[in-house]
Amino acid sequence: MSRIPITGIGVIAPGAIGVEAFRAQLAAGQTTIAEVERFDTAGLSAHKAALVTDFRPKEFIAPMKMRRMNVLSRLGVAAAKLAIEDCGGTLEHDTGVSVGTAFGPVQTSVEYMQEYVAKGAALAPPQLFAESVANAPGSHIAIEWGLRGFNITITQRESSVLAAAMFASSQLLKNNVRAALIGGVEEANEMLFSVLDRIGALAHANGNADEAARPFDRRRNGLVLGEAGAMLVAGGGTRKPYGYLSGFGMARDTSASISDWGTDPTAVANAMRAAIEDAELSLPDIDAIYASANGSVRGDALEQRAIESLFTRVPPVVATKGIFGEYAAGGGLQLAAALIALDEQKLHASPGFEEGELPVTRETRDAQLRHVLVNTLSAGGGVVCAVVSREAA
Amino acid sequence: MRKPDLSTRIAVTGAGIICSIGRNKAEVWSSIVESRAGIRKMTAFPGETFPTDLAAEALADLAGELPIGKREAKRLSRTDLLAVIAAKEALEQANGAPIARAIVSTGTSTGGLLEGEQYYFGRLVRGRRREPASRVLQQPTSAPSDAVARVFNLGGGVISNATACASAGAAIGMAADFLRSRHADVALAGGSDALCRLTYSGFNVLQAVDPEPCSPFGATRKGITLGEGSGYLVLERWDDAVTRGATILAELCGYGASCDAHHPTAPIEDGRGAEAAMRGALAEARLGALGEAGLATVDYVNAHGTGTLLNDSAETKAIISAVGAGVPVSSSKSYFGHTLGASGAIEAVVTVLALQHQIAPPTLRLGTAADDCSLDYIPHTPRPMAMANVLSNTFGFGGSNVSLAFRRVL
Repeated sequence: MSRIPITGIGVIAPGAIGVEAFRAQLAAGQTTIAEVERFDTAGLSAHKAALVTDFRPKEFIAPMKMRRMNVLSRLGVAAAKLAIEDCGGTLEHDTGVSVGTAFGPVQTSVEYMQEYVAKGAALAPPQLFAESVANAPGSHIAIEWGLRGFNITITQRESSVLAAAMFASSQLLKNNVRAALIGGVEEANEMLFSVLDRIGALAHANGNADEAARPFDRRRNGLVLGEAGAMLVAGGGTRKPYGYLSGFGMARDTSASISDWGTDPTAVANAMRAAIEDAELSLPDIDAIYASANGSVRGDALEQRAIESLFTRVPPVVATKGIFGEYAAGGGLQLAAALIALDEQKLHASPGFEEGELPVTRETRDAQLRHVLVNTLSAGGGVVCAVVSREAA
Repeated sequence: MRKPDLSTRIAVTGAGIICSIGRNKAEVWSSIVESRAGIRKMTAFPGETFPTDLAAEALADLAGELPIGKREAKRLSRTDLLAVIAAKEALEQANGAPIARAIVSTGTSTGGLLEGEQYYFGRLVRGRRREPASRVLQQPTSAPSDAVARVFNLGGGVISNATACASAGAAIGMAADFLRSRHADVALAGGSDALCRLTYSGFNVLQAVDPEPCSPFGATRKGITLGEGSGYLVLERWDDAVTRGATILAELCGYGASCDAHHPTAPIEDGRGAEAAMRGALAEARLGALGEAGLATVDYVNAHGTGTLLNDSAETKAIISAVGAGVPVSSSKSYFGHTLGASGAIEAVVTVLALQHQIAPPTLRLGTAADDCSLDYIPHTPRPMAMANVLSNTFGFGGSNVSLAFRRVL
């Protein structure tokens, strides 16, 4: 059996800069979702998001370098710096970088097109174009620390970071690299927000219910957009591991359309089962599920049915996206929260959940956790699940 | 967690391609043996004022090549549609593979950015509340994988790789490792990218576009010619393919990946990153450099060969260091331009065809090689030659490098 230790966590999250602040935020179990002030939401159904508002990139990145980076790259480099500091060691040159992002540099592309329209196709700024590729954050991370192992960027919507972790794990197990930085970046912006709002994906005030993320709750009516940067050090460092990546499984729900969740729970259940089998565990070994649920009507219903179909006794379910929204660090915050749960032996609260069928945690509490299942269901039908474990074997 | 078992051989049992020189393998190979490039005046964006005007465009109207109806096609981006066409050809050739369990691993750099631009322009005119948002639903770079999986009802999983121009090479390598670790049973792996204004403008403002058709490794080279297209391979574990009686086109025997960690857009001048990727692929394939005792060597390198001053010089140094100065090398971008995130897949398909036919594609328009390009670049015309082991290189922005090794099936 092979497990991958995670020895460092770096987080730039809404209301939490650094892993200690993130721990405190998770323990408090409070949502970070608030009214959007960064851009105009007038005329839209939704008006709230989980935004990073107190991030000062110059505290992490030299000014000359910072000018060449977009917001995603700054989030990624700052989160990587925190993760490397947290792991208590240094990373060798043969370290890989595996980054996930659901939507990538949408804002940079918008800014490029603004310049394209204003100045013409021949005079748009080349620096913006260089940052318009999704792998710019991974590139800057490699340059900052001289990391010459594989460098890859995965963009599989909600499953981006777990897929990135799955690939990085395969390369660590092959001994292609000694360590890897695994994580994700995501930026909330007006274009993404308004498009998600127009297609009816975002939570909105409805009758007596306020606008909120309500994962697995009966009153849910959509997801809330989040943003963050989160990086993990895998396979290197000297700190006692938070936990270990011990298994992965993936599948695709063939009933899904290209941009929505489907209705057949079989694939989701298959991916969960595959991850558990990959970890050489059985269903009763799973002590908790850190769910994909984000408050969407279809996605949450699909995941609930899959969990109910797979587990005879459903373990406690934690839905973290009521805290920091969907797409937060491409799914990186969800994975980081599961690892912190193992480290602290605590299950986190699921703000936004009040009434539903699953045993969803309502408050943070102590728990004996050996293995936690992490689910990600992406719109379009992709499913990637992981098992994270407390011990090396 | 299961680790990739490097003793597990990976068979290529299907291949599909569409680009400016053909709608399928037969047309593409015919163009290659006839030294017929697909680089012309660009027709896609009339009225725009780009500094250059050439491109390697695929068929403008893709409807006749699609296995889906107009209504379904309308929901997909051009990048998605190109992917569906190449995937269809690959899956048909792999007839009998258990594709219901197939994973789709796709590399793309732009995804549905073309449709995203149209949405952006529409918003400028009509405002965000009136411009239909459905037009931008296919912008995410996850869309080509999702679209292909949806069209062909593939249930193994979807993974999208957006590592700039190294995307498709990485997607293929990743799929092979997931087969080796038995996280997947069969894989449809490749890449797709359509031309769009942002990339056409962007490479121009970087001054990376040759105003003439690109001439990789040439003394007068000035940059790339942008292209578009898609390529896919069907990958299976060798024993599974043999058991089901599949026709095996080639063996994918090595995958190497590295990063220059040098610059956001420029390769490191000495080519050490590219060299490391090639060495990784050679090690997995148990191949050695020319003259290295006890190991088989590489017979041909399908180079990244973009036509930029920096790439071609750095790649030449890398090939000399990793493989040897005597190996024949060519750039098929001289036929169909730089197809960005799809290039690793399109060129992998061409490399597999070269192995099958035992003919190395040439580098077109290579009058005189540059002083810093000292290899045998197979100028002008295809070269019949014995090839057992070959490499296909793909490098991208951010210094990401991928090299794939393929072996002939006897």
